[in-house]
Formats: sequence, structure tokens, C-alpha cells
Amino acid sequence: MPIIVNLDVVMAKRKMSSGELAEKINISQANLSILKTSKAKAIRFSTLEAICKALECQPGDILEFRE
Amino acid sequence: MWSGRKSISLSKFCVLVFAVMLIGTVLSAPWLIRWFRPDLAEKKALFLSTIYSGSIPAAILLYCLYRLLHQIELEQVFITENVEYLRRISWCCFAGSVICLASIPYYFPWCFVAVAAAFMGLIVRVIKNVIAQAVELKNESELTI
Repeated sequence: MPIIVNLDVVMAKRKMSSGELAEKINISQANLSILKTSKAKAIRFSTLEAICKALECQPGDILEFRE
Repeated sequence: MWSGRKSISLSKFCVLVFAVMLIGTVLSAPWLIRWFRPDLAEKKALFLSTIYSGSIPAAILLYCLYRLLHQIELEQVFITENVEYLRRISWCCFAGSVICLASIPYYFPWCFVAVAAAFMGLIVRVIKNVIAQAVELKNESELTI
């Protein structure tokens, strides 16, 4: 899929662990792992909003389009 | 109290009853033909070939139906395995229809069985398409975070 999830990069910049982020945005670690590994087929706006709030970033920092 | 579980058990039982009937038909085919149409005794070999060749897709169909019901019992309805079972069931119906069609020249009433089997195959095929779409939707919703 040409949409790349850069969640790892943003998390590393904010020095936030997967467990901590999963707890903050209220999703399971398994689902967060699906998201991080780009296996997810879709992301809800509510999840994206929660991630952006927790990591203090913009959706564009997390998602990237690559041909 | 009647429940979904009991309904599945009843369906499984019915499949087993049909399996026993199929075995009974195959084993007693020569006597059945003699009893059913004594006037067509000279065509016994043709009747036997239709019954024996038709029993193969019928047996596969019953096995697939039983496996499908078993998966539903395990609460695994929308999985690709079930789509495959439905596909096989549909093809078994069409195979039975072709066998009956080929038997029309010596006994016309096979035509009705052929049409009924083909119609059943078509219905199962449509259900298979619906379940395939449902599996896709389920996978997508599971991977929506």
C-alpha cells in the first residue's frame, strides 16, 4: 500500500513506548502493532485524533503517501 | 427451549440422515430400479450408471455441508474456508445436474432432477458470493483501528 505509517518515527521523537501510547489512546497493544506495521486497512478519525493528541503532532507526521 | 445450537444439531442430523439414505440407495440400487420401474429392466445398467456416478457429487456435497455446519457450530461463519465449502457444494449440484442431463435420452424425467439440481447450485453460488463479500468486509473491519 502506498500509504506509509510513520508512527514509529514520531513515537521515537517523543520518546514514547508502545504500551504508553496504547494506554493513552485507549487501544490494545495488538491493534497498535497492526497500525505500526502498516497492516491496518483503515484508521478511524477518532483514533487518528487521539494519536495526534497524545503525540502532539499532525496527521501528516504519521501518515505519508509514497508511490 | 429451542436455540440456534439445537437448530445446527438438527441440520447436522438431517445431513447424516441423507448420508445414510445415499448409502442405502447406492447399496440397494439394483433392487430399487427393479421395484421402481419393472418395465425398464433392460435399461438397468443405464440407471445404475446414473445413480453411481451421481452418488459421488452427492457424497462430496453432504461432506461439505457437514463440515460447513461444524464450522458454524464453532461460531466461525465468515471465514474463507466456508466460502470454499459453499463453492464445492455449488459445483457438486452442477455436476449432479450434468449427470442427470446426460441421462435424459434414456429416461426423460431425469430432466426435472437436472433442472432442480442446477437451480440449487445457482442459489448456493449466490449465497457463496454473499458470504465471500461478508468475509472481505469482516477482515476489513477487523483491520480498521
